[in-house]
Amino acid sequence: MNILIGTILIWGAAFWAVRHLHRTAPEARPELYRRAGETFLFMLPRLAVGLIGAGFLAALLPEAFVQRWLSAQSGLSGILLATGFGVLTPGGPFVAFAIGASALKAGAGAGALVAYVTSWSLVSMVRTLSYEVPLMGRRFTLLRVLISLPAPILLGLFASLAQ
Amino acid sequence: MTDDPRPRRRLFDSGFYFVLAIALASGTGVLVTHGWDTFREILLSDLGLAALLMPKIAAGVLLATALALVLPKDKVLHHVGPESGIRGLAIAATAGAVIPGGPAVTFPLTAGLMTAGADLAAGVAMVTGWILLGLNRTIVWELTFLPADLVLLRVLLSLPVPIVLGLALRAAVRHRARRRAS
Repeated sequence: MNILIGTILIWGAAFWAVRHLHRTAPEARPELYRRAGETFLFMLPRLAVGLIGAGFLAALLPEAFVQRWLSAQSGLSGILLATGFGVLTPGGPFVAFAIGASALKAGAGAGALVAYVTSWSLVSMVRTLSYEVPLMGRRFTLLRVLISLPAPILLGLFASLAQ
Repeated sequence: MTDDPRPRRRLFDSGFYFVLAIALASGTGVLVTHGWDTFREILLSDLGLAALLMPKIAAGVLLATALALVLPKDKVLHHVGPESGIRGLAIAATAGAVIPGGPAVTFPLTAGLMTAGADLAAGVAMVTGWILLGLNRTIVWELTFLPADLVLLRVLLSLPVPIVLGLALRAAVRHRARRRAS
């Protein structure tokens, strides 16, 4: 259902943009369809392979395992471990929140939780591989991931101080 | 009509082989640890998901491509170009946080803006704003699972991150340009 609503919304926006282009620069239309077609063909195999790989990765990392380790470690080692788990935790809009919530109940600290959610948000391997590399290219993805890596550790440390 | 600034791409490059290698390795792992039935189940369900996502991706690509051609280049450059300063990064991060939608929307939009004149730092600020501060996800999902005070703490700590990352990237780009010049 979510996918359907999203699809309709984006098609609406795409039609609006194409109509606008048609009115303001009708001569650019062949170029539009050529570029869009090329990009779509470029992404198609990457996205399919990325999603399948993401599914396999998800099956290899049991949630109970992550939850147990998140609550067992504390301090800096807990934050580093949480950051690593965040990278490995598969996508979806809420998976890491659910795991984080059960880890919290089992005794995980605010630092580990913030590090985990931040790392999953910023550098989740699955979203990065299945969407970002195909859509944004390798250079953008690599630079963004590299520069983002310190953030979960720092935010985790700040959060454990604030607690 | 502007020239197409994107680099020429081959259909199968190292980026594709990288994704393929991950899929093969993790697929083998699943096959060994979980057996053939689970392997087939995951493969089929994700192929189905990919097929289901295709119309959405097609629309996202069309939207991004059209935006890159429609948006006035001078205005995009002014607001989120390389010289747009902290204000430009804040605009990009806010756009990322406010625009509803998942990766199929935000990545094409960012790519479209970058083709129209936004710099790498603004692109990263926009993506970071979306993944760290996306209102949609925080309100719908995060608050359902996690206690409100922790969510608030995480959001407050995350607020400067898109801008800090953007500034760091711009500094790195300038540093490289200087080193090349000397």
